[in-house]
Amino acid sequence: MTNQRIALSRRGFVKRVGALAVAGLAPAVVRGQGTPMQLGVLTPLTGAGGFDGPRMLKAMQGVIDEVNAAGGLLGRKVELVVEDDQTNPESAVRAARKLIDVTKVPAIMGTWASAVTTAVAPLCWESRTFLTTVSGADSITKLPHQGYLIRTQPNNYLQAAKHAEFIAALGVKRCFMMSIQAPFSQPTQERATEVLKQKGSEMVGTLIYDKDKTTYRSEVDQALKTQPDLIYLNGYAPDVTILLRDLYRAGYTGTRFSQSYAVTSKVLESLPFEVTEGVITVQPSADVTSPAYELARKRLGIAEPDSYETQATDWASLVSLAIARAKAATGTGIHDNVRKISQGSGTKVYSAVEGLKLLSQGKEINYEGASGPCDFTDIGDILDCKFRYNKVSGGKFVLLKVA
Amino acid sequence: MPPLLAEVAQLVVNGMMAGAILAVPAIGLTAIYAVLRFPNFALASHATIGAFAGYIANAKLGLPILPSVMVAFLAAGAVGVVTDEAVLKQFRPAGFITTAIASIALTIALENIVRFGFGNELRGYALPIERDWRFGSIRVGPQQVQNLAIAAVAMAALFCFLTFTRTGKAMRAVADNPMLASIKGINADMISRLVNFVGMGLAGLGGMLIGLDTTIDPLTGFRSILSVFAAAVVGGLGSIPGAVIGALTVGIGEELCLLFLSPDYRSAVGFVAILLVLTLRPRGILGQRADA
Repeated sequence: MTNQRIALSRRGFVKRVGALAVAGLAPAVVRGQGTPMQLGVLTPLTGAGGFDGPRMLKAMQGVIDEVNAAGGLLGRKVELVVEDDQTNPESAVRAARKLIDVTKVPAIMGTWASAVTTAVAPLCWESRTFLTTVSGADSITKLPHQGYLIRTQPNNYLQAAKHAEFIAALGVKRCFMMSIQAPFSQPTQERATEVLKQKGSEMVGTLIYDKDKTTYRSEVDQALKTQPDLIYLNGYAPDVTILLRDLYRAGYTGTRFSQSYAVTSKVLESLPFEVTEGVITVQPSADVTSPAYELARKRLGIAEPDSYETQATDWASLVSLAIARAKAATGTGIHDNVRKISQGSGTKVYSAVEGLKLLSQGKEINYEGASGPCDFTDIGDILDCKFRYNKVSGGKFVLLKVA
Repeated sequence: MPPLLAEVAQLVVNGMMAGAILAVPAIGLTAIYAVLRFPNFALASHATIGAFAGYIANAKLGLPILPSVMVAFLAAGAVGVVTDEAVLKQFRPAGFITTAIASIALTIALENIVRFGFGNELRGYALPIERDWRFGSIRVGPQQVQNLAIAAVAMAALFCFLTFTRTGKAMRAVADNPMLASIKGINADMISRLVNFVGMGLAGLGGMLIGLDTTIDPLTGFRSILSVFAAAVVGGLGSIPGAVIGALTVGIGEELCLLFLSPDYRSAVGFVAILLVLTLRPRGILGQRADA
């Protein structure tokens, strides 16, 4: 027995030395099939985010498959280690611990719910693991994450500014904002007021209303007293539905503007056409004009990848490119290089594979993503992104523009 | 009319409209309390059930609003009798608190049954929305006037039932003095079924009236239950005229507070009213029994 084991061991040693020698001489594609480099994915595959999580995972896997087909990263095949955060902070922390302590991944991509990201982020920055997220709460990038976090979703501050720019561009002179009582309401009102003023328009009034009321007639009266050209309804579907009814009853004929999650196709079905006619809705959008978006469409085989799928596409690309530029699969390497490959004066690239090729030639690159330009502030927020504006006509949404 | 006066008048009109609709389920809550001596929080889900029953009658079967309102009343009333017999009746010997908590559990269960059947999305009745009528600087919604009329008719019918019919008098007798009513041979079981039918029927009717003015979803009743409870407590839990006065007080109070406060404090007004009324008059405005 013992002799046999020694003999096997000797044979194994010879084989390994032989294999190493062959691998050293082999081309990149073959070398990429060695010990895989593992990257963490922590998306909600179940729970409230269960609709978006699997699609985001598919988008990341698509990018990684392309990277592997082109030879992998730093000569190694890349493998995604997937955990389900269950849209639950407690489950997410357990899963993140496993990815960080056992698998020792350099990056975790994919947290969706703000509560999950808030719970997982400290584990990441303490262990110098890079985290990419889609969570929207303003507070997330204000955490002391030391640069180990980026977010591709626009925060409320950016959204309010973009909405105000659009409203001013409509020629609106007098805007009124009615917001539901929520953490985002006051900051959104303040930012929109500021930007409207810069653009030559005016916020003639704001109010924050109580949710769960059966009527908002008096709130509507308060708004109409200021004679606004446009009323921004910043709430959720149940209350915005009542506001739309009450505005119609009060005879308001100006423009109504709202978030797409508050005026959904179901809301349009529940209200008579005349009540919703002309309502403008807005939502963050993928950059549908970008070559990166076109590549994502082909890669995923779907006509219109949404904002979440394109953001996931960009995470996998950004992390791959940062690792390649750092020449090390470490969280710190990604941290130090992510802005060097995503913004600046380098050659614009629209996919990870395109960028890897240029990096291997020693060139600087600027990755332009499918979700947007992927340029980040110091605290990890995106500087810019596109928004999709729809107008309701005959009970249906009609695309106004993506800008 | 001076602007401030016009504003106050408009707020009072809005408050009356909101209060009248609130009064219907508040009467249901207070009637059940008067006879069975516990606050039945399952009223919330029965309001939702009534709203959905009325929706099926109106939007699916094409019935006009008035017959649909009747369907809402009958369906919620029938479910109220069944759920009380099957669930809450077993808890009553365990006391006031246990039964009230069981009614919270029941309302969550019923709400989820509605969700299972209809999903979470918003639904609207097949009803055109009309522009408001204007009387000088005051505006009034035709739909809300219709709702006010339906609420007033329902309240008048209940008043006639309780005042002029033998069964109505028996119900009042049980509410006033259950022991004496029992000695006089009044069947307490029959009265408890009847009060559940009428009380939950009114909740269902109120749910549909709320839905006519807004949209409906499985949380329609739940969203209103705190205001309904506030109205019943302010008026004096157990007093039917008190429920109407309480609902109008809460409705008008919530509107008038907008003269001084931001609209996001509107709900707080109802609860400040509860604290004030119960501090100054523990049995509520028209309540008869502080100890009940």
